[in-house]
Amino acid sequence: MKKIVNFLFFLFFFLLFFSTTIFSVNMESSRFKIESANTSIASGEKSSSNYKLSDTIGQIAAGEFSSSGYVVKAGFQYIHSIIPFRFSISNTNINLGTLLPNTPATATTVLTVYFGSAGQYQVTVAESHPLKTLSNNTIPDTNCNGGSETCTESIAKTWNLSSAYGFGYNMSGDDIPSDFNSSSKFRPFPDLSASENPVVIMSSNNVGKNRQATMTFKVNISSIQPIGSYQTVINFIATPSF
Amino acid sequence: MKKIIIIIIFTIAIFFITIFVKAQQVSLSISPPLLETIIKPGKSIMIAYNLKNFGDPVYLLVKVVSFEPKDNLGNIRLKKEFEGPIKFSLDNANIQLENPFFLKTGDDQQILLRIRVPENTPQGDYYYTLIVETIPSGNLNNNSASYAKISIGSNILITVTDSGIVDIKPKVVIFDVLSKIKIFNQKINIFDSFDKIPVVLILENRGKNFIKPEGEIILKNIFGHKEKYKIIPKNILSQSQRLIEASSSSKISEKIEFKNSSFILSGFFIGKNNLSAEIFFGENSPKIFAKASFFAFPFKLISIITIFLLISLEIIKKIKKKEES
Repeated sequence: MKKIVNFLFFLFFFLLFFSTTIFSVNMESSRFKIESANTSIASGEKSSSNYKLSDTIGQIAAGEFSSSGYVVKAGFQYIHSIIPFRFSISNTNINLGTLLPNTPATATTVLTVYFGSAGQYQVTVAESHPLKTLSNNTIPDTNCNGGSETCTESIAKTWNLSSAYGFGYNMSGDDIPSDFNSSSKFRPFPDLSASENPVVIMSSNNVGKNRQATMTFKVNISSIQPIGSYQTVINFIATPSF
Repeated sequence: MKKIIIIIIFTIAIFFITIFVKAQQVSLSISPPLLETIIKPGKSIMIAYNLKNFGDPVYLLVKVVSFEPKDNLGNIRLKKEFEGPIKFSLDNANIQLENPFFLKTGDDQQILLRIRVPENTPQGDYYYTLIVETIPSGNLNNNSASYAKISIGSNILITVTDSGIVDIKPKVVIFDVLSKIKIFNQKINIFDSFDKIPVVLILENRGKNFIKPEGEIILKNIFGHKEKYKIIPKNILSQSQRLIEASSSSKISEKIEFKNSSFILSGFFIGKNNLSAEIFFGENSPKIFAKASFFAFPFKLISIITIFLLISLEIIKKIKKKEES
């Protein structure tokens, strides 16, 4: 009996480790395997003359070169090296749960920009369309509390009334617009389906290393809002400067 | 026997838990972050970009869009439509522009961007951004949710010229200190000797090609001592203005009042201080100059000393009165 128990314990821990391997295999779907094959073809090209050519161009582009007909410079002259520009988001699936009338639902995601010590960058945001169901019921973008506390795509205002409905966001952290000066200040997202332009939610002129900001999504519905699963796509675009 | 059953159930449960883990984090890097090229019509170049996935496995798409300067701070506005005669394509065997591809966690993908300038392309500047964007995935079924689409960009500045000569037409728009003191609506450049003094330099590019200012700003104090601040060479796009930054004696504060300044002077200033800017735009380009000045006096120190003296005199008076009585 003891042997069986020991064996099962061994099996358990073995499978625990084995299951980790299964995890990555599972991530590699049939589609992924195709990509993997392509990757190895690309790796093969690395040693071919074609690929060497691109490597060479990459290296030359790192500095300044002049040949007949063109000059190429890559990276920022004042940083003196090519620092990659990196953008991260902690969670792409922002779950607002089941919405209840007059009960605001919130969810957060963290945006991070890595860009050396002297990088200049901006992050913009816009929604593809307001929150809507498949049957086209929509939750309008928030106006915040209304009256003197009416927010717009570019000005955050207080939104703390349970009778103020809509969908919007708050920002906190590094390099955010100055109007987000409290956790109750919100803005609606610019709506791309209404031809509105994306707005800057993070930017810095001279500091870009590990800059982090938290975006809080908030939605509040009235009792007459039709029941349903409301969804949208939020577009974040991070670009360095020129 | 019970133990055995529990272990088996637990083991099976771990299998299921592992299977249903969802990929949610996106973290992408792109290099180089900026590309500048001066090119003749009819020429073509290939640039190797390096894209790395630090997040969960993700489907991506590469595209090129036009951009324009949004303000004088170096921010950009991406245009909805691709503009201009420049032709872009990818030389990769496995990916094409606007076609999705998959990138595993920790994997690199070299993007071989071919830039072709057709013959008879009008001379001038063309500005683009290479965008790598995620394809939103995930299904939170019956819940209300927002799905994030992440895009990361790298800007491309292209100057098309037959001769290789670029059009340099700069103009100083503003070169001054940012003073808060106003008398009869006139700004007076007077500061306290211990104040941090924000300096602003805005240049305008009236030419057809982007230019890169270099040079220095010199501060000369009342005793003739000179302090030099190097201009940070950031591009000014054609027909636009840009706030020029200089290496500062003090880190530009996050405070809004200092946010739109070129650099901050800090230290102890007294009397009249002269600022001069010498700016050039590459080898053999003409220099442009600008001047400004400000006054600084130790108002706060004098106030503290005066208050201290008045209090001391009052105390001495009281002590003397006491002694007399």
